[in-house]
Amino acid sequence: MRTHILASVFVTIALLGLAACAPAAQPTQAPAPTQPAQPTAPSTVTKLNFWGGWTGPDGDVMRSMVKQYNDTHPDVQVTLTTQQWTPLFDKFVVSVQSGNQPDIMAMHGPDIPQFAAKGLLEPLGNVVTQEGFKASDFAQPAWDGTFYQSQQYAFPLDLHMHGVYYNADMLQKAGITPPTDWISGDDFVKIATTLTVDTNGKHPGDAGFDPQNIQQYGLAMYDNHHGFYMWYALLNQEGDHLLNANQAALDYPQADGEKAWTWLQDLVFKYHVVPAGETNPLQDFLSGKTAMLIDGPWEIPAMQQQAGLKWGTFPFPQVFQNKAVWGSGHVLTVPKQSDPKREAAAEAVIAWIIQNSGMWGQSGNLPALNAARATDTFKALPGRAGFLAEMPYEVMLPALPAEAQVFSAAATSPIVVVSQSILIQDKTVPDTEQAMNNAMNALLAQR
Amino acid sequence: MNEILHPVQNGRVNGHESRVCGRANAVSTMATALKATGRSADAATKSMEADIPKSTRRARQYSPVAYLFVLPYLIAFVLFRFGPAIVGFLISLTDWQIVGKPNVVGLSNYRLLMSDPQFITSLANTGYFVLLTAPSLILLGLLLALLVDQRLHGRVITRTAIFMPYVVMSTVVGVIWLWLFNKESGILNYYLGLFGIRPVAWLTDPATAMPAVAMATLWWTVGFNMIIFLAGLQDVPQELEDAARVDGASEFNVFRHITLPLLAPATFVVVMLTLINTFQVFDQIYVMTGGGPSLATLTVILYLYDQAFTAFRLGYGSAVAYVVLVVLVALALIQRRLLPESEA
Repeated sequence: MRTHILASVFVTIALLGLAACAPAAQPTQAPAPTQPAQPTAPSTVTKLNFWGGWTGPDGDVMRSMVKQYNDTHPDVQVTLTTQQWTPLFDKFVVSVQSGNQPDIMAMHGPDIPQFAAKGLLEPLGNVVTQEGFKASDFAQPAWDGTFYQSQQYAFPLDLHMHGVYYNADMLQKAGITPPTDWISGDDFVKIATTLTVDTNGKHPGDAGFDPQNIQQYGLAMYDNHHGFYMWYALLNQEGDHLLNANQAALDYPQADGEKAWTWLQDLVFKYHVVPAGETNPLQDFLSGKTAMLIDGPWEIPAMQQQAGLKWGTFPFPQVFQNKAVWGSGHVLTVPKQSDPKREAAAEAVIAWIIQNSGMWGQSGNLPALNAARATDTFKALPGRAGFLAEMPYEVMLPALPAEAQVFSAAATSPIVVVSQSILIQDKTVPDTEQAMNNAMNALLAQR
Repeated sequence: MNEILHPVQNGRVNGHESRVCGRANAVSTMATALKATGRSADAATKSMEADIPKSTRRARQYSPVAYLFVLPYLIAFVLFRFGPAIVGFLISLTDWQIVGKPNVVGLSNYRLLMSDPQFITSLANTGYFVLLTAPSLILLGLLLALLVDQRLHGRVITRTAIFMPYVVMSTVVGVIWLWLFNKESGILNYYLGLFGIRPVAWLTDPATAMPAVAMATLWWTVGFNMIIFLAGLQDVPQELEDAARVDGASEFNVFRHITLPLLAPATFVVVMLTLINTFQVFDQIYVMTGGGPSLATLTVILYLYDQAFTAFRLGYGSAVAYVVLVVLVALALIQRRLLPESEA
């Protein structure tokens, strides 16, 4: 009995303590002078919602830009919500149905057609021009990426593309001067071979080289949908287009496709410069298992966070006659809504973000606005050289309403299956490519 | 999980003398068990039936007030489970894409499914996963429960250690095992390397990806089965086991003829839940392989998610869901036939 009384006394004290804490905490929060420079509060505040799929350090960069906007524009307050792209797009589609759509929606240029075709986005007309921008203000692939069926649907924010990261210490040890501009496929393989070493110190091609006991690999690369993206770049380097003019079927010389897949497959199974079946290429590069990595500038923050890593970048190799590299770009859209005032406010916010996108460069992505890339803030950022050299040659995937099916990154996607079959399982190229073509044509015919 | 447990218990107890009290369950189970071992159960049953409080028997007549207690759950069930399930079936008869107007297409989604190679692959993969995990989850769960039921030093710590992973979130489990299974820098390959074994591409080789996911699943969920078996073991009367030992039964025979039959209610629950849960595997695969490489770990629920929420084919995805439902109901019915304790 006594313990019961004691217990209830304790509980009472604890509850009182909690209750006492609550009011005590408030006064310390209330007068916190967070915005001393803020102008007098306006009578009406427009609250805007901004959704984006930036879940890494890029999200933090955008959040700080939004904060800066809010601090300087008391009449408009923007809330940024970030979530991974795929679930974010699900949420976006459902939100428009229920009228809870965001005022600003980020996506990639090639994502525009699927949402435009569903009627979730409306053509912007000449809004982008009205906000003071013109085509020549932007990198051309970025500007072009905001159009679908010759209508503009978005503001171009940035570009990002594949490039080659290198570990400066490992290259130096091997006596290699890091390239600064485009190099040929052969030169690239030569560098990768020099950087691949087995346990006896031998390189691929040396007599007695043991591919089963490789201590250090020359290159890490992805064998998922990014494998297809690399192939797509090589196809463009050969001067081919993936789809026919009305985008209803694949239409490229299959022999060219085979040459491109074979080049990629050889990196893994002939030259042994890439580990087969890597679980995490980025991690393998960061931990010094591989000397180079093919990836995008969104990994730059990860490079900077890796203690002791000295790194640099150069362009994706030019294997065939033309320069081309797969890329994409973030764009900012204003989803369809009934309130023109909110729409105008959202457009003003976007224009501000684009104008100040030199800051966005910290996320690794390359600002689409030429002036933003010319700012000192951007120029001071390390390791962008390789990607900047690639900008004019970036090729995006064809803009398709059925993008989510044809170019899906899910395991069921033909582009993932083909990539894994060739780069992990070493399946014969012509058959596997034919299977990819059949599957993609079936998806293209569905619509 | 509760809504799964309840029907199971009702199903099992129906037709027995008493319905509510767990102790009464044990009695009737014992009666069956004793009959099975060929001994007269009458005396034992009678003496124990006297223990059952009167109130338990009265509870058999449901008072209308009982429905009031069930009501909150019933409302939630209809709103969030039963209702959506019906709507889901209706959606499966359309070509709805979340946006726009759905067109009724009849059973054509189901017809398409039957000739969809990826769906058939996903069904086969799911069967493979169930085969890899369910038997080992059930047997290992039972073995571990028997082990930690012994009066040994440190058994509380052992129980906790085995159950602990179950509390971890599925996505976290996936991420942890991604690290362990990493081909180039994973700890598993590091230790295998000490024995001269070459790095295994656990999650990126189509041959090892599913077994690897199964291993992670075993580690993650076996503790749950162990706990249910352990609870079941507490219901096995020590007297019966002691009596058998006095009669000269070997430890194996005590287990085979007394412990195992009396564990049947627990076994039923474990088998049912394990089958359902392994068949519906999603989270850890989504995190660890996404269904790859080359579709090697694509399971039905993963395919459903992919079709409904990545490709926005909601009608088709709903059809997949209903095929899964049919398979699960079939499994449950087969199980009721096979496990003696379900012959209510």
